Amino acid sequence: MATERSDVRSSSAEIDIHAAKLTKQFGDQYAVKDVSFDIPRGKIFGFIGPSGSGKTTAVRLLTGIYPPTAGTARVLGVEPMNFTQHLREEIGYMPQLFALYPDLTVWENLNFVASLYGMNFVTRRKRLRELLEFVELDKDRRKLARSISGGMQRRLTLAATLAHDPRLLFLDEPTAGIDPVLRRKFWDHFKTLQDSGRTLFVTTQYVGEAAYCDYVGVMTRGQLVLVETPQGLRKRAYGGELVDIVFKDSVSERRHLQPLQQFDFVQKQLPRAVQRTGRHNARIVVDDAGAALPALMKWFGDQEIEIENIEEHVPPFDDVFVEIVSKAEAEMDAAEANHG
Amino acid sequence: MGNLSRLFVRASSFFSKEIFEILRQPRLIATLVLGPFLILLLFGIGYRNEAPVLRTVFVVPAGSPLETEIEKYASDLGEQLDYRGATTDLEGALAQLKRGEIDLVAVAPFDAYSTIRYEGEQAVFTLYHNEIDPLQADYVRYFGKIYIDEVNRRILRAITERGQEQSISISQRAASARQNSAAMRDALARGDVVAARDYQRAFERDLYQLETDTNTTIELLDNVDATLGGDADNSTEAVRSGLQQIRDNQAQLGLAGDSNFDSDAQISTATQIEAELATLESSVADLEAIDSRVLVSPFRSETQSVAPATLLAQYFAPAVIVLLLQHLAVTFGALTMVRERQLGTVELFRVSPISPAEVLVGKYAGYLLFGGVVAAILTAVMVSGYQLPLSGLGSLIGTDTLTLGLGVPMGGNWLYFSAVVFALLFASVGLGFVISLIVDTDSQAVQYAMIVLLSSVFFSGVFLRLETLLSYVRAVSWSLPATYAVQLLQTIMLRGQAPSVRLLATLFGMGVLFYLVAWLLLGRQMRYQAD
Ligand SMILES: Nc1ncnc2c1ncn2[C@@H]1O[C@H](COP(=O)(O)OP(=O)(O)OP(=O)(O)O)[C@@H](O)[C@H]1O
Ligand SMILES: [Mg+2]
Repeated sequence: MATERSDVRSSSAEIDIHAAKLTKQFGDQYAVKDVSFDIPRGKIFGFIGPSGSGKTTAVRLLTGIYPPTAGTARVLGVEPMNFTQHLREEIGYMPQLFALYPDLTVWENLNFVASLYGMNFVTRRKRLRELLEFVELDKDRRKLARSISGGMQRRLTLAATLAHDPRLLFLDEPTAGIDPVLRRKFWDHFKTLQDSGRTLFVTTQYVGEAAYCDYVGVMTRGQLVLVETPQGLRKRAYGGELVDIVFKDSVSERRHLQPLQQFDFVQKQLPRAVQRTGRHNARIVVDDAGAALPALMKWFGDQEIEIENIEEHVPPFDDVFVEIVSKAEAEMDAAEANHG
Repeated sequence: MGNLSRLFVRASSFFSKEIFEILRQPRLIATLVLGPFLILLLFGIGYRNEAPVLRTVFVVPAGSPLETEIEKYASDLGEQLDYRGATTDLEGALAQLKRGEIDLVAVAPFDAYSTIRYEGEQAVFTLYHNEIDPLQADYVRYFGKIYIDEVNRRILRAITERGQEQSISISQRAASARQNSAAMRDALARGDVVAARDYQRAFERDLYQLETDTNTTIELLDNVDATLGGDADNSTEAVRSGLQQIRDNQAQLGLAGDSNFDSDAQISTATQIEAELATLESSVADLEAIDSRVLVSPFRSETQSVAPATLLAQYFAPAVIVLLLQHLAVTFGALTMVRERQLGTVELFRVSPISPAEVLVGKYAGYLLFGGVVAAILTAVMVSGYQLPLSGLGSLIGTDTLTLGLGVPMGGNWLYFSAVVFALLFASVGLGFVISLIVDTDSQAVQYAMIVLLSSVFFSGVFLRLETLLSYVRAVSWSLPATYAVQLLQTIMLRGQAPSVRLLATLFGMGVLFYLVAWLLLGRQMRYQAD
């Protein structure tokens, strides 16, 4: 899987978004620090990080709202501060906060944004209606934006962002405050957009949404901790894949666990590669669960060790994420302590 | 071509958006347009350009001839002087003044008659008031002076009339002198020396009396002449020289029965004197013919304006239109970009292909259209003068018609009018935009807009004429769009003339300047967000 990760860097495909040591400082504080990545055309890049980790700032740097303090960014081959009018028509930006007019109706707001992008008066009607249907606001289009719910405002903002059918999309927490069913629908739509060659840069706090992305960048304290595929993310969190075993007898360190160290697939370099997790339970970290499971079952049979269950454990992304962030932050603290 | 249509679409996005947003905020419109309009309307209806009435007590020195007569002179001077009686007690009157029971104390000089009549000087009235408002104090000084002048005049007139009554006795006296002279001549011709002597004595008494009376009158008339700047009147000169000749001839008269008395010479001198007395009589009659009022106040003013007549409320109407439109446009302009920043929409613009110029053009167009509609409604209200009959209802509020509209005259060309309104709105929206781009919050924006309104009320020549301001303060005036527009609209509406091209062009140029400044500022803000 490590090969996939290097794919991101060495892809021969066209790079739509390129960041090199991108840095933004507010006073003494780094909102974004030395962030580097490349996003090929046609990929969904998920930007995940705790609140205040610098996701929005990164998006603003990439869309030319902020000039960077240091480092460079290239979006569609151009530095964001030098975007041409023509290039801006290819980009869609969905801000994190509702940034439309409370005194206009849903329909008027949508029309306004479409006009901002110079969409033809006559032909845009059909498209805007379709978008409203997609975000399920068709029936509410005559309501004032101030009188619709927060989630509806999010949906309206998304529709407005998609109106001019941009080739490259920056979506800052598009699914915040959206119910799970609609969230699923949104991600399905993002996938459809991707299939038609669009590139998407999506920030989110829903770690589970990482599964929809081609690549996930994890931010904390303004720094990009890693960029991974969703599967690679798990491995990175725990040092490998996890196998859970339930023994018939209570777990004996000498009889049940120590012998497991002999297998090559067990990640012995980790301090807790084999670990008792309950009276009858143990968890081992292996490099590839698919290969390890048959080998283990055969060995338990040979040793006449009775087991009730053995299976791969797929931890939820939330756990994965917590694991990665806390590790990264511990490292940052340690590095800081060393310097200080 | 495609680019051009996109440009048009982009600019138009703001046009309709601004209009919708304004219409969705009826309260904002109400406070911006209706509020100030009603205030100014109330002012127009309620403001009386009349001087307040001064309650006045006259203080007259005890024993002065005025003590009995002041009421005659001062009690019906005019509407603005409320005669509250005369007293000899100055301290009491001043105490009343301090308590605010009266507004003015006028202290008469001790002997106005002799001052005026015998010393030929003005009698001085002293005025006391108790005003802290400098304008009101000026007013008291001004009206006090006018009314006291009137009292002076009335007293003078009385004296003159008395002089004229005397001049009647002068002509009688002259006739009597002539008769006595003739009788003396007859007696001499008869040779009745004793009778001639008696008549001659009577004649000389008459002549002496005549001289005394005439001198007083002439002196008074000379004073009047000198005050009014006329030269010695023909009639007084004739009287004076006639009298002199009579006196010269009289000196040649001998007394009948004296040693070297020549009766024939006496008769011929007497004949001559009689002829001179006859002439004097007619001169004195000329004096009598002059009306004492004309003598005392020979001028009366009648103003005639070369401009069309205007009522006060009508005079203010163009200024009100201007103030309201400027305030409206400045406020909309001042709020607009602040609101975009607060809503976060500026971020959208910055990422989108719209340019600062397109934002400005779209927004300007929206506000100019809205301002134009408000201007049309406002003008219709001002210029129309429909009288709505109120039948029974009216008696409740004491009027039977309600005037819809103010009936303000529109003497000029509507095209000029529209050009001025356009230039005013253009410049005011621009001023608002500049404000909008330098403030941080909407409350700051509103405060700045209020400052503009306040300076306009004081400095744009609406209520205070520009000529009353110092030149460096006038610089403030000329930096306000309202100053130009008020003058332009007054010329067009009230005078019915073509507006000054220079003023109109300057106002428009001001708008262009504001547009350019706004464009630069907005360009900077849209390029990137300041940290
Ligand atoms: N304009 C600004 N001025 C000063 N500090 C800022 C500014 N914008 C962001 N920051 C700081 O930079 C850091 C990163 O903020 P940012 O909004 O990028 O976080 P985020 O990851 O988007 O958070 P969230 O998930 O809550 O939206 C925060 O500590 C924030 O306080
Ligand atoms: Mg954010």
